Amino acid sequence: MRHGDHGDLLGGDASRGRPGAEAGGEPTGWRSVAAATGPGARDAAEAGVRLAYRRAGLAEPERLRWVDSPLAAVRLLREEAGRTGASVRRALRDEPLAAQRELMHDRLGPTGWSTHWRATGADLWETTAPLVERIRSAVIAASAPRPRDEAAIRVLLLDAVLGQHEAAWLSALDPGPGSGLDGLAVVANSAGWWWPYENVVVLSERPVELWRDEAGRLDRSDGPALAYPDGFALHAWRGLPVPGEFLKRLDTLTPALIREEENAELRRVMLEHYGYDRYLTESGAEPVHRDETGVLWRIALPGDEDVAMVEVVNSTPEPDGTNRTYWLRVPPRTRTAREGVAWTFGLEADTYAPLRQT
Amino acid sequence: MYRQGDVLIVPLAAEAVPADALEAESEPRDGRGRLVLALGEVTGHAHAVVGPGRLIREGGAFGPALLHVPDGARVVHEEHAVIPLPRGWYRVVRQREYVPGSVRVVAD
Repeated sequence: MRHGDHGDLLGGDASRGRPGAEAGGEPTGWRSVAAATGPGARDAAEAGVRLAYRRAGLAEPERLRWVDSPLAAVRLLREEAGRTGASVRRALRDEPLAAQRELMHDRLGPTGWSTHWRATGADLWETTAPLVERIRSAVIAASAPRPRDEAAIRVLLLDAVLGQHEAAWLSALDPGPGSGLDGLAVVANSAGWWWPYENVVVLSERPVELWRDEAGRLDRSDGPALAYPDGFALHAWRGLPVPGEFLKRLDTLTPALIREEENAELRRVMLEHYGYDRYLTESGAEPVHRDETGVLWRIALPGDEDVAMVEVVNSTPEPDGTNRTYWLRVPPRTRTAREGVAWTFGLEADTYAPLRQT
Repeated sequence: MYRQGDVLIVPLAAEAVPADALEAESEPRDGRGRLVLALGEVTGHAHAVVGPGRLIREGGAFGPALLHVPDGARVVHEEHAVIPLPRGWYRVVRQREYVPGSVRVVAD
């Protein structure tokens, strides 16, 4: 289990429906809600929806419809146009959220609120917001071949309550029974995005695949980084959106194919995937500079800025006793290895002097 | 200055500590009572400080942070050797990588 000692805590939280509260304000539980994949408990999600309607003083919706992805939800809603009634997102989500935020803001003061937000939702929001935006863009790309359809789909996307992706706000706002946010919190634990209208609610399943790198960006080289059960999927390499076809080509790269790629962003992906070290070896590159901090390399790319890399050795040996070499890209103006390594920590070459490294 | 993987810990003279940092509240400790300097989202491994002290973020999850360890402390990580820190103030900087048009944080 990747999260090691948090495993029990997370499992328990999810089943109890209020991770933020169980974790004593620590956002770890909501982090797992935001990243959860696979089918959730539909009964629980539907009960959460009905609770949210009641909390907002609304009549419960006549119909609840499940779909496999936000794309399928948008397609269904376009078919249902005219029969859904008005969106009730504002009454059900925006207003209770704003009220709870104001309450906490008043209680904690501006500085206290800001500290609280940083300790709870801020980090999670940093990785969730770009994901939400990517999903929106992909839904538009997949469902709006004609430019005149795009505005209508954007409006539909803004009607969505983000389910599990509301986790950052829920972690900060303590969605207990008195907060009016408890219904939203229950849905967050079992469903993806959902669309509340007067007559109908459309709920999307969560993704079945979610692959991200250490920085929280979508990242996978051998398949979709995000995929829903109906096949709606996003491909990305370290956050950069790439076509699915492109990823298939990564296994058959050669230095010549990399040089021939005209799109600079895709060429960077190809280089990273191929390995800068391998590319350097096979293209016969010579190191530009070497000192006690590492080695500086440079690759000239026609029509693009040079790639400057520092090669450094991890100070802590691996379990097998070897030291891992790794490569960091530095600004192209870099002249020495020390200058490059210092830059990676925001320092000038002459001020970088670790006394001890592990 | 001390380096543990992708985290650099640079001593800071007491006079150089920003006035508002002296008043600021510390970041909360994790479930094990540690101050987490940097957390690997995928591995769950953390660069963390064990011992009394305060950690004050200066800007965002990946921004620099100020660390105060009045009695000294130890910096621990699942994959790196422990670093003992003498008492005092430090600026904690995460390693970054150049990406044309932007800058990316490194995480090991």
